[in-house]
Parts: sequence; structure tokens; C-alpha cells
Amino acid sequence: MSMTRLALQNFKTSARNYLSLVVSLAFTILIFFNFQCVIDSDAFDVLGEKNRRNMDISIQVITVVLICFMIFFIWYATNVFLTRRKREIGIYVFMGLTNQKIGQLYMVETSLIGLSSLVLGLGVGMLTSQLFQMVLVRLSDIAVEIRFRLSLGPVWRVAAMYLPIYLIFVVKGYANIVRSSVLELVSASRKNEFVRQSTGLLAVKAVLGVGTLSAGYYLALKDGGMEVMNNVLAAVVLVIIGVYLLFGGMIPLLVQGMAGRKRFLYKKERTLWVNNIIFRMKRNYRTYAMVAVLMLCSVTALAMGFAMKNRYTEMEHFRGTWQYQVMGIQDGLDKELRGIIKEDNEIACSGEIPLLLFQEDVVESMYEHRGYGALSWSAVRGLAREAGLEFSVPEPGDDEVVNVTQLYLMSLITNKSDITVTIDGRPYRQVQETSVPYLGIFQEHISFYMVNDRIYEKMRPLGAEVYLYNYRIADPENFAAGRDKLKGLHDRQPERYQGCTFADPTASDAAWIKVLYSICIFMFMVFVLASGSILFMRIYNDAFEDRARYTGLYKIGVERRVLGRAVAHELLFTYAGPFLVMTVSSWFSVHALGKVMSTDLLAVNIVSVLVILVFYTGCYFFSLPFYRRNAGID
Amino acid sequence: MNDSKVLEIRNLTKDYGSKGFSTTVLKGIDLSVCRGDFIAIMGPSGSGKTTLLNILSTIGRPTMGSVWLDGKDITQIRNRELSKLRRDKIGFVFQDYNLLDTMTLQDNIALPLALNGVPGKECIERSEELAGQFGLAEHLKKYPYQLSGGQKQRGAACRALVTKPEIVFADEPTGALDSRSSRDLLECLKGVNDGGRATILMVTHDAYSASYAKDVYILNDGLIQCRISRGKDRKEFYDRIIEMQASLGGDFS
Repeated sequence: MSMTRLALQNFKTSARNYLSLVVSLAFTILIFFNFQCVIDSDAFDVLGEKNRRNMDISIQVITVVLICFMIFFIWYATNVFLTRRKREIGIYVFMGLTNQKIGQLYMVETSLIGLSSLVLGLGVGMLTSQLFQMVLVRLSDIAVEIRFRLSLGPVWRVAAMYLPIYLIFVVKGYANIVRSSVLELVSASRKNEFVRQSTGLLAVKAVLGVGTLSAGYYLALKDGGMEVMNNVLAAVVLVIIGVYLLFGGMIPLLVQGMAGRKRFLYKKERTLWVNNIIFRMKRNYRTYAMVAVLMLCSVTALAMGFAMKNRYTEMEHFRGTWQYQVMGIQDGLDKELRGIIKEDNEIACSGEIPLLLFQEDVVESMYEHRGYGALSWSAVRGLAREAGLEFSVPEPGDDEVVNVTQLYLMSLITNKSDITVTIDGRPYRQVQETSVPYLGIFQEHISFYMVNDRIYEKMRPLGAEVYLYNYRIADPENFAAGRDKLKGLHDRQPERYQGCTFADPTASDAAWIKVLYSICIFMFMVFVLASGSILFMRIYNDAFEDRARYTGLYKIGVERRVLGRAVAHELLFTYAGPFLVMTVSSWFSVHALGKVMSTDLLAVNIVSVLVILVFYTGCYFFSLPFYRRNAGID
Repeated sequence: MNDSKVLEIRNLTKDYGSKGFSTTVLKGIDLSVCRGDFIAIMGPSGSGKTTLLNILSTIGRPTMGSVWLDGKDITQIRNRELSKLRRDKIGFVFQDYNLLDTMTLQDNIALPLALNGVPGKECIERSEELAGQFGLAEHLKKYPYQLSGGQKQRGAACRALVTKPEIVFADEPTGALDSRSSRDLLECLKGVNDGGRATILMVTHDAYSASYAKDVYILNDGLIQCRISRGKDRKEFYDRIIEMQASLGGDFS
């Protein structure tokens, strides 16, 4: 029989065993393919060129993340498969096959699996790509009709990306088999030596792990200026290393400690599952750490999505506060302006406010800004009342200012205390920062400091005082009608008007943020599903290894339900361990993100952890019967 | 059943295969095991030794006949009760040890006690006591992969005895051991039997192992052909077993 025929026969007879591998590989292809279809799709063109460009950049970034994820997933899946398959096909060594021949057999079989996964992934992907885009559009709250369109571009791109990666791991597996000794081939999964790890080594790892993790958590929470970016990057690296060391040191140390206390250990089936966990930890700790990190990524991705959405809503609100803003050189121009606007629109509310625009070099602040101005506290309070905006700023003292700032998508400066601003050589302490849109989008152009009325009067000689006339119209859809008339004011009466600012409420130049929000939700689901399936794959394969143990126990009279309980505890640990580590770590990561995005994400954190809890509980109950069946308990 | 009788087998029959194509492996076995007995069952390949032991261990079911253990006919009771019976009344020693490679020797020995809900303190004391008797006191913290075959099998014997079962079934316990390890194990088993702490029923093909028993039953063609009792001298007993094997012929390996 030729090698290909033998491999084909193996593939056919063991199709059920390969199923978990095929499905998980197909899943990664499916995700990748759907994202590629979004890049190709014209559905989002409706958002305009700027949005489309921003969105494409975001999707490119996510594609890079997905490629990394795909490499990792293929590596993991083929590795798990190789360990198991090596022993199964290693038996051919007794039939006179050389390592090279066995390696070839493995290569053909694995290639068949890879191709089946590709076909399945692309097939399901083609069927679901429209659905995926529809969900994306729906979540993003964009009114676009999705047309079913099949283009070959994404198919080629996915195949071109997936096949070489897969091939590398197939060749790696082949090299592994060729270099294996006969003994390794025959007993590849029976290396049960060194069940217990050296306590000293574990203690060192545990101390390092706790130290690294604490440092990571500390950096994530630490407030700061521009160095926050470095802190966040360092925190990410430290938390990942810390989680690995936690599963490689601290947790095995604790479990080994439990096993060392015999009076505690000898309690019904506890002796079975505690010892089994110790045995598993040695080999699986990387998997558990990986799963915890993946879940952490998923929660952070979701939090990111929600933070983006919150910010988008606030930005919309920012732009919706005033539609027409006219800067006049004198006061008392409201009547004339009202007359012009009322020709086309009904005014919902309006208000005017004097502004002091500082000359250059009057203000020295920590961060350079395009322009600076001053506002009097009572004038802002009055304008807020007119516009129906909240105003909870206490009157600043004589040496205090309140920064009235624009809304940033994200701000790296998380330490807002101890900021001093020097105006005309005199230092003022910044006591508060507010991004309530009192001045609408005008706030995006100039950084204003709110001071008390006395100080405002004193500051007058430092700049030019102008008057800002603000109007919100009743029908934002009719925005364009009055705009052109107001635009010409400056040209017609330059002695009275300095310029106009318009905020088009119908413009959606930040709509890409909404799309990013739905992509973040999707990434959350992808990462959670992936982490669950990695654990499931691990459990599924580990169970085969336990078959001989459980058969022996059954023979000496251990009841199946006792074995079932031991398995239930062991699997509970397998799922709960990474979950708990993720839950604790996620609080820090989401909290840090919340600070950068200036929003409270605790609720998102809790909800996402609960979603994962529900999903993992499902995975746990789903895994139990598979484990019992594979381990020969049922 | 007599008070001193631990196990009583009556007219035990076992057929394999379906109607018209069945083979009778056991053809009506009668055997009584009393407290303190050390019985070896020998027989050539295919004589029905393993089938008999499987039925006695409650792993297999007979076609006909009864097996009385602890006042109950084990051929008639339900699976749940069978597990309980196996756990509480029977100890097992297998040819391939069946020690869990994920546990230390002490954990392996204490396992049946812990599963029975015996307090931790007692589990520790009893496992240490038995390990001492079987010369394993220094190896309790080791894992099976760190032990020799003989040590593993003695550990398995400790595990079988730790619950103080009514009877211990040993299936070719020396089958995977060298002669010295076999002797060490058999001496230990004989020691606990002589001390009145264990009733043992051992299946073996090895005359040397059988000579440590008090009585040897020769099983051939599904029936017990004869019984040989030890007397005082083990060497002489061994010779008699060999003679009997020779007279019966067949492959005893």
C-alpha cells in the first residue's frame, strides 16, 4: 500500500478524532476570511472616505492581530495533535517503516486535515460573510443595505496566508518525527517522569511571578503624563510574564503543598484530583497561562469597544450642542444674527459669551496647544444654563484655573493633579478639568482656562476680548440652509464679525469609531471562543491518557461515580484557574483603559467577566461527558 | 455458609459465544475459601483461570452457579452494590501493578481508605504500617517511576490489604517480576497470611509462586482436577506441584 493510500485510509477511519482539530482550524480561517471580506466590501463606503480609511487601518491592525493569533493557534493545535499522533503512528516502526516514512505519513495526514479545514472554513465563511457584515453594520448602528457579493480576493488572501503558515508547522512536525528515537515514537505520550517539581524552583518562580504581576498591576494603575504609554506597554509584558510564572510556579506550589498535607489530601476523591492536577500542571501550565492571557485580551477588547462607543456618543453630543457659532468683535449682535438664522430655521436655544483670546507667549503650560483663552466663571455658568448643560464647577480661587478642554478619543495623560499653568508670569493651579461642551466644537480649537470674574477682569489687557454667539437649531437636518448666509458675514462686515464655526450634526466623520466598537465586540467573542476551545482540546486529549489509570481504578473497586466526581473537580480547576487569574487581572487592565479613555468601564468589566463565566460554565459541562467517554469512565 | 468460610463457589459455569457456537470455559466449579487460607489456582493456558478470577472479582458474570461472599450471592446483586463489595471486601493485586503514576507510593496505598472516607490520620498510620511490613517504609514519598518492579508490586499488595478486605485476589502477581523480587513479594504475602491478617486467592502459572500457598488447586479443562496441600516443607510442596503439572501435561505458562 502506498504512503498516500495509507494516510488516506487513516484519515477516513480516524475522521472523528480529527474533528476537533479540523473544526478549530476552520474556525480561525472563518474569522480571518470574514475580516478580509469586510476590507473588500463596499458596504462601508457610505460612511465617506475619511471613515473608510480609518476603518481600513483599524481592520488592517486587527488583521495583523488575527494573523498572530492564527500562527499561535495552528502551532498549538498541530503540536497537541503531533504528540498524540506520534505514538499512534509510531507503532509502524515495528513494521519496518523508517522515521522518514512515518514522517511522510504524518505530513500527508496533516496536510489532508489542513486542506479540509481550509475548505470548511472558506465554505462556511462564504455563507456567513454577509451575515457577519450585517451584524457588524447593525451593531455599529449604520443604515446600509448589505448585498450578497462573492469575490475571490479574500479567498486567495486567506489561502495565501494560511497555507504557508500551516505548511511550516507540518514540516516542523515531520522534522520532529524524523529526529525522534524509536523509544520516543513508541512512548511519546508516556513520559510521566518528574510528576512533582522541585519545591525550590517553584518557590523562586512563584516569588518572581507575584513580583512581576504586582509590578505589572502597579504600572497599569499608575497615573502619569506621557510616560503612561511606556508604563502600559511594560504592564502588558509584565502581566503576561507574571501570569506564566503564576501558572508555572505559584499555583503548582500551592497544589503540591496541598498534596503534601496528607491529612488534608486523604478526603474521599480529593487525593485523586489533587494528584492529577499536579501531574497536569507540569505539562499544561503554558496552556492555562495562554488561555488566561487570551481571556484577558478578550475582556480588554470588549472594554475598548465600549469605551470607544461612549466616547463617540459624547463626541456627538459635543458637536450637537451648537450648530452655528459666530465670533463677533462687539456685543449686542444677537438680534441681527437671530434674524438671519430665523429666515430658514427655528432656534431651539442660544447664548452668548465673552472670550479672552490670549496673545502668543502669554500662557506657558506643560503641553503645547494651538491657542489659549480665558473664560469668566459666571459667564460660563450663564451659558450652561441657557444650553441646559450641567455646571458643577465651583468658583475658582484667585490663583486657580479650570481647564475647559476638548474631548480626546484617548488621552495618555492620566495624572491630572499638580498641573500649574503660568499666565503672564503668574502661576495658577489647575484645580479641575472639564470637557462639558459649553463652547461646542469651538472648544476643539482653543484651550480655555476658566477663572473667577475678578481675575478675568485683571487678565483683560493680556489679550483680545471677543464675543461668541451660539445657536442650536430645532431641525438639525436643515443645517445647511442658514450656513451660507452666516458664512458671508465676515466678508460683508469685517468690523463687526471675525468668523464663524459650524458643526454639521448630520456629518458622521467619526462613524468609524462605531464600526470599531462592533469589531471589538467581535474580537471579544473570537478570543473567548478560542480560549474555550484551547482548553477543550487539551482536556479532550488528556482524557485519552487517563484511560489506563481509570480502568485500573475501576478494577480495584473504585466506583464510576467516584471517578466522575474526581474528574469533575479536576476539570473545574482547569477552567476556574485561568478564569480567576483573568478576572483579577482584567480589573487592572480595564481600569487602566478606563483612565486613558476617561470613562468608567467597571460595568463592562463585570458584564464581560460574567459572559465568560457563563460561557466557561457551558464549556465545563460540555467537556465533562467527553472526558468521561475518552477516559473510559462511561 | 459456614462462619469461617469467606468465599463459597457452587457449580460455577461459564459459556462464551452465542447459542449453537458457545464454548464452556468453566464446567461447574465448587470451591470454598476459609478465613486464613492462602490458595493458589494453577492450570494450563485456556483452563479457565482468568475467567474464574474475573467472576470472583465481580468483573465477569457466570452463566450458571453462585458465588457467596460475605453472606451474599455476588452473581445476583446489582452493579452499585458490586462496586461497594469490591471496594470494601475484596483486595486486588494485578500482574501489571496498576499503581497510579500520578501519585506517590503512600498516596497509592492510602487511596482505597481515603475513598472509603477513613479519616486522614488513620490513612497515614495504616499506610505507613503496611509499608513497613512490606519493606517500603523508605519509599513512601517516591513515585511509581522511581520504584523497581518488585517494589511496585509490593506497593500494590499493600494497597490491596490496607482496607483489611475479606479476601485478596492476586492475578499472576509475580508474572512481571524477576525471581528475587518474586520471592520478596511472596514472603511478604505469606507473612501477612500467616499472621492471620489476610485470606489470599492467587492465580498463577508458576509452581514456585504456588508453593508459597497453603493449598494449590489445579484447574484443567474447566474443572478442578485436584487439590494439593502444603504440609510443612515448602520445597517438598514445590516438587509435588511440579510432579502434578507433569502428570497433567499441557502448557502451564
